[in-house]
Amino acid sequence: MNNLYKINRDEWFRLLQTLSASSYNIFAPVRKNGGIDYISIDVETSNEIVYNEAKPATPLKMFFLPVKLNVTESKEVLKKTIIIGPPACDVEGLKLLDLIYLDEKFTDETYLLRRENSLIISTDCYKSQENCHCTTYGINPYPEKGCDISLSSEKDNHYLMTWSEKGDKFMKELSSTGKIEKADNTIFQTITTLRKKVINDLNNKNDRLPGTETTGEKIKESGKDIWKKYSSKCVSCGACSAICPTCSCFLLIDRPAFEKIKQQDTCQYPAFERVAGGDDPLKELSIRFKNRYMCKYVWKPQKFNAIACTGCGRCIEACIAKISKNELIMELV
Amino acid sequence: MATESIYKVLKASIEEVIDESPLIKTFVLIPESPFKFKTGEFIELTLNGFGEAPFTPSSSPLITDKLEVTIMKTGYVTEKFHQLKPGELLGIRGPFGRGYPVENFFGKEVLILGGGCGLAPIRSLLFALEDIRDKLKRVVLCYGSKTPTDCIYKPLFSRLNKIDKFETYRSVDKPEPGWNETVGVVTTLLDKVNMKIENTIAVVCGPPIMMKFGTIRLLEMGYKDDQIYLSMEKNMSCGVGKCGHCMMGEFFVCKDGPVFTYGEVKNTPDLWK
Amino acid sequence: MTGLEFGELKNISFFNDYSDDHLKIISKISTIKEFKVKEILFEQYDQVSDLYILLEGTLSIGISLAKEKRIHLSSVQPGQLISWSAIFEPQISTAWVMATGPTKVLAIDAKKIQMEFKRDCEFGFLTMLKIAKTISNRLSDTRFNLMNQLTV
Repeated sequence: MNNLYKINRDEWFRLLQTLSASSYNIFAPVRKNGGIDYISIDVETSNEIVYNEAKPATPLKMFFLPVKLNVTESKEVLKKTIIIGPPACDVEGLKLLDLIYLDEKFTDETYLLRRENSLIISTDCYKSQENCHCTTYGINPYPEKGCDISLSSEKDNHYLMTWSEKGDKFMKELSSTGKIEKADNTIFQTITTLRKKVINDLNNKNDRLPGTETTGEKIKESGKDIWKKYSSKCVSCGACSAICPTCSCFLLIDRPAFEKIKQQDTCQYPAFERVAGGDDPLKELSIRFKNRYMCKYVWKPQKFNAIACTGCGRCIEACIAKISKNELIMELV
Repeated sequence: MATESIYKVLKASIEEVIDESPLIKTFVLIPESPFKFKTGEFIELTLNGFGEAPFTPSSSPLITDKLEVTIMKTGYVTEKFHQLKPGELLGIRGPFGRGYPVENFFGKEVLILGGGCGLAPIRSLLFALEDIRDKLKRVVLCYGSKTPTDCIYKPLFSRLNKIDKFETYRSVDKPEPGWNETVGVVTTLLDKVNMKIENTIAVVCGPPIMMKFGTIRLLEMGYKDDQIYLSMEKNMSCGVGKCGHCMMGEFFVCKDGPVFTYGEVKNTPDLWK
Repeated sequence: MTGLEFGELKNISFFNDYSDDHLKIISKISTIKEFKVKEILFEQYDQVSDLYILLEGTLSIGISLAKEKRIHLSSVQPGQLISWSAIFEPQISTAWVMATGPTKVLAIDAKKIQMEFKRDCEFGFLTMLKIAKTISNRLSDTRFNLMNQLTV
C-alpha cells in the first residue's frame, strides 16, 4: 500500500479506452448539464473526463445503493467497475455507510457485492465549488485511505497512490503495460502547494461555519423558532436526502413470490416514522425538517463515531426552495 | 437468522387461526425449517406480495418447529392478515433485535406489567421464565385490558396460577357483569403485589399510554432506571438497523432494542410518541 | 365498634413510616367498621367525616352519571386510603364507595386528627404527605383511564 505511480495523461486516457473495452465498467466525471457528473466511459468519451475539479453531482453512494433494487434476486453477477473522480468528501461518507451496511451480524449482501466489485479512484480537488465546506468538518479536499487509489495531477502527468490491496493489485496489473512507472514522493512538494491553495480558499470562504461537534450542540440546544423559520418554504421533496452522500434510508416494498424491492426513502417524506397505532412523531413539518439535522450532526456521530455531514454542500444546491443548511447553522451560532 | 440473506424469507404455513378477542387473532405457523428465537426478539412477517409487519412471537422460545404470532387489527396490512385461513403461506425474516436478558433475572423477583396486545411478547417471556423458575424468586404478572372480553390468552392465567412461584392479577378499565377481579387501570394492581422493590426486575409491555403511566408509577414507587425493561414499538421495517424507519434518537429500535432499560432511553426525545 | 391496638396498626402498609407515638394517636381516634357485599360506604356528594383505610376485603370506587347508573372506576387494595375528602372542607365526597366483598375498614375521625396535626406538626406533615400521594396516584390513574377511553 501507499505505492506511488506516475502516468502521462494521454497514456492514461488510452489505458482507460482499453480497459473500458474489456472487462470493466468505467465511470468518470465529464462536463454536462452546466456542471460535472459521471457517465459510463467508453472509447470515445475517455478524453472528456474532468480531473481534480469539485465535484460530480451524483454522490458516490449511488454506485452501492441504487435508487431501486430487487434484494431477493439470487446471486447477482456484476461486471467489475472502476469509479474515477469521487472527491474526498464522498469517500469519507462511505465510512458511515460501511458501518451501517457491512455490520457483521446483518451484512447487506447487495451492498457488499457492489463494494467488493468496484475500484474507487478518488481524486484531489484543486478547485472547489461555491458550497463546498469539507475542511470545516476536518476533511481534506484530497483523499487519503477509504479509497483504493487516489489520483493527483501535475502538468502532463497523473500521480496514482494506492491505499488498499485492491489498489495495489490493480496498479501492478497496469504496470505490466509498461506505460506506468513508479514515482517518488518528491512530487508531493508541488501537489501540496496545489492542495494548500484549495484549503485556504475553503477556510476563508467558510470561516464562520462551526465544526461538527459545535454544530451538533447548537442544534441540540436550539428552540423551535429557527426550525419553523427555515422549514417554512420546505415542501418535503427529499432532494437533500437523495443527493446527500450519507443519507441511505430506504423502504422495503413487497412483490409477489416474496420478492422485496429496496427503494430510496427519506425521513423528509411524511409518514416515514408513522406507527401502526397512527402516531407519527415527524408529522409536523418543522420537527421533520429538524430531524435530519439532528440525525446528521448528533445521532449518527454519537452512534457510529463517524462524520455524517461531509461538507459537500450538495443539499444547498439541490434544494428547490433554496434553503441553505449553512445559513441556518450560522444563525444558530 | 432464518435465511442466509437479510432480505429473503423463510416460508411458513398457517396451521391454525385462534380468535382471542374481537380485534385480535393468534396465528399458529409451521416454518419450513426449525426457527429459533430468544424471547423478546421479533420477526418481520410477510404477507406475500402485499406487505410486511413486525411482530414479537408469543410462543415459547423452546419450541422451534412451531411459532405463534398474535396480531391486532390496526391498519391496512393487519386487516389483510386477519383474512388469512389455515394452509396459506407467510414469509418470516428474523429473528431480529435484542430480547429480554433473562440471565439478569436470576435470583430476583420479576414483576411483569402488561396491557392489551402487549401480552403477546410477555407470554413468550413467561414460557422462558417458567423454564428457569428454579433460578427465580417469584414471577408476578399484572395484566390490564379495557374490558374482560378484550383480555387475550384467557387460559394462560389459570395455568400460570398453578405453577410454583407464579402469580397473576388482572384488571379491567370497564367491568362487565360477572367480573369479580380488580377494576381500574393496570397500575392499580401495583399496590396489591408487594414486591421486594430492591430485588425486583420490572418488565413493562403494552400500548404507549400504558407504558408511560406504568413506568412513571414504578419510578415513583422506588424502582431504579435500570430495573425497568421496556419493549419499544416503532415502525420497524428492515429489522436490521439500516432503513432508518424505526430510529428513536440515535437508536435503531430494531437492532439496539426493542427491549431497552428505561435508563438507556430516558433521555431520548419523544420517547413515548 | 372498638378500634385497633396501636401494635396492630403497625401491620397496615399505610402506616409504614409512623412512629409508635403516632400510631398511639391514631389508635385513640379511630374505630373499625364492617360492611357487607354491595353495601355503600358513602355516596358521591355525601358528607364524610372519617378517613377510611381498607383493612380487609375489597372496595370499589366509582361515579354516577344518572340515577342508578353506577360506573366502577377502580378497585381499592388493603392498606389504601379512601374518603380523603373528609380532611378538606366542605367534607363532601367526590365519588361513591361500595364494598364488593365482606369488608373491614379503619375509620379515623377527620376533625380529631386535624386537632392532633396542630399539636404534632411532624405527624401532620407525614399524614398529609400520605394523603397527597393517594390523591396523586388516583389522579394519575384517572388520567390513564381517560386517555384509554379517548383513544381507540
